[in-house]
Amino acid sequence: MILFKNVSKEYPKTGYALRDVSFHLRRGEFVFVTGPSGAGKTTLVKLVTMEERPSAGTVRVSGFSSDRIKRREIPYLRRRLGVVFQDFRLLKNRTARENVAFSMEVIGTPREQIGLAVPRTLAAVGLASKADHLPAELSGGEQQRVAIARALVNEPFVLLADEPTGNLDERVSKDILRVCKDINLRGMAVLFVTHNRTLLDDYVGARVIELDRGALVSDTGAGDS
Amino acid sequence: MRYTPREAFFAFRRAPLLSALSVVTIAFALYTLAVFGLVWLNIERVLDDVAQRVEVIVFLEDGTDPAESATLMSELATYPEVDSIAYVSKDDALARARGDLSEYRELYEDLEVNPLPASIEIELKPGFRRSAQVNEIAARVERFPFVEEVKYGEEWVSKLNFLQDMSLFLGLVVGGIFAAVAFVAIGATINLVLIAREDEFAIMKMVGATPGFIAQPFILEGFVKGVVGAILALVLLTATFSALEQRVLALGFYTPAQIVTGVALGGVLGAVGSILSLRRHLYGGTA
Repeated sequence: MILFKNVSKEYPKTGYALRDVSFHLRRGEFVFVTGPSGAGKTTLVKLVTMEERPSAGTVRVSGFSSDRIKRREIPYLRRRLGVVFQDFRLLKNRTARENVAFSMEVIGTPREQIGLAVPRTLAAVGLASKADHLPAELSGGEQQRVAIARALVNEPFVLLADEPTGNLDERVSKDILRVCKDINLRGMAVLFVTHNRTLLDDYVGARVIELDRGALVSDTGAGDS
Repeated sequence: MRYTPREAFFAFRRAPLLSALSVVTIAFALYTLAVFGLVWLNIERVLDDVAQRVEVIVFLEDGTDPAESATLMSELATYPEVDSIAYVSKDDALARARGDLSEYRELYEDLEVNPLPASIEIELKPGFRRSAQVNEIAARVERFPFVEEVKYGEEWVSKLNFLQDMSLFLGLVVGGIFAAVAFVAIGATINLVLIAREDEFAIMKMVGATPGFIAQPFILEGFVKGVVGAILALVLLTATFSALEQRVLALGFYTPAQIVTGVALGGVLGAVGSILSLRRHLYGGTA
C-alpha cells in the first residue's frame, strides 16, 4: 500500500520538512495524520503523489518505489490515488457533473463508462440532486463533496485528503469526515490530514500519526502490521 | 465532442490575434519557400530544355591533317558520355552558312577563300549534359594541339545554375526566418493558454493525465494553424503566379502531389512549433 521507510525530505532553502519518518498504511486502513502547521503534513502528501522525491529513505506506493519510478510512470501512479485539498480545486466554469467527469476524460476513459460512473459517484457523496450546479452555486461543504467525488470516480486504492476541512466550519467539517469514513467502510484506504485535533474526538481508537517539525512523534497504529 | 478536438480550438478563442499571427507567419514562411522553389523549378525546366540542345562544337585549326581529326573522332567515340559525332568540313560549313544565313548569301558567294573552320559536332547522351560534365569534356578535347576552340554555351548554363542555387538558398534562409517567427508566435499563444488554464493542467496532472494527453490539443491546434497557413500561402502563390504568367509565358507550377506535400509541411511546421514550446512546460519540473 503506502510504505515510508526512514524518509527525510530536505529543501535547499528551508531545510528539513520531514526527518526519518517511517510508517505503513495498509489496505483499507483509515489513518489520521495530524500536527501543527509546518509539521510536514503537506510534504508527506507530496511524497505519496511523487510530486516530491525523498532526500533520503524510500517511499513505496502501490508497487511504485520512489527510488525506481520513472517520470513517465508517475501519471499511472496518480491514477491509483484520489487526492482532495483544502481549497477544493474545482473548475469554476464546469458543473459538478463535469468536474467529476473531467478527471475520467483526461485519462482517456470511454464515454459510456463516464456516463455510468459520474452519477453513481455523485450519489455516493450525497450530491445527486446538485449535479448540474456550478461550484459558485454550491456551499463549501458541497464543493468539497464534489472534489471527493472527483477523487473517487477513478476508483483509487487510497483517498489522500490534505486538510479537506481547513476552509469549513465545525459542523460541515464533521460531515466531510463522515463522508470519508463511509468511503473507508466500503474498503478504500483513507489518509486524512488535519491540524484540527478536535475532529478526532469522535473517533477514539482510530489510528493517528502525529508529526511535529518534520518528525513522527507518535503513531497509535504502528507495530501491529 | 471529445476532449482533444474540443480543447484544440480553445486557443483560437482565447488569443485570436496571436493565433492569427501564427497562421500568417506560417503562411509567409511557406509562401517564401514556395516562390523561391518555383523559381528553382522553372530554372530547372529551362536547364533541362537547354541541356537537350547542348552540343559541344570543336573547331579545328586550318590545315589540320584529316588523319589527326580522325584520331580525335575515334577517341571521342570511346567516351561514355558521347551520343553521336559528326565531322563538318570547311566546305560543309560554308554550304550550311549559305543555306542558314540567306540574307548574307551574296557575301558568301563571292568568297575566294573559305573563312570557316572545319569542326567536329559532339552530341552528349542525356544525363551528361550538365555544366560540370560538359566543362570536363571540353577540357579533355582542348588538350589536342590542332583544336582551335571548343564552344558549348557554358556561360549561361553556369549562370542559370548559379541562379538556381541562389533561389534555393534564399528560399531556405528567408523561409527559415519566417518559420522561426512562426514558432515564437505559436509558443506565445501556448503560454497564454497555459497561464489561463493553470488550474486545469494542475488537476490533469493530479488525476494522472499523461503529458502526451495534455499535449494533444496543443499539437492538433498547431497542426491546424499550419495547414490553414499553408492554404493561405497557396492562395497567395496562385495569385502571384497568375499575375506573372500574364507577362511571362509558359511558367511551370507545382504538381498536385507537391501542393499536398506543401500543405502537409505546413501542418508539420505548426505541430513542431507546439511541441517545442510544450516541452518546456510539460516536461520541465518534477511533476
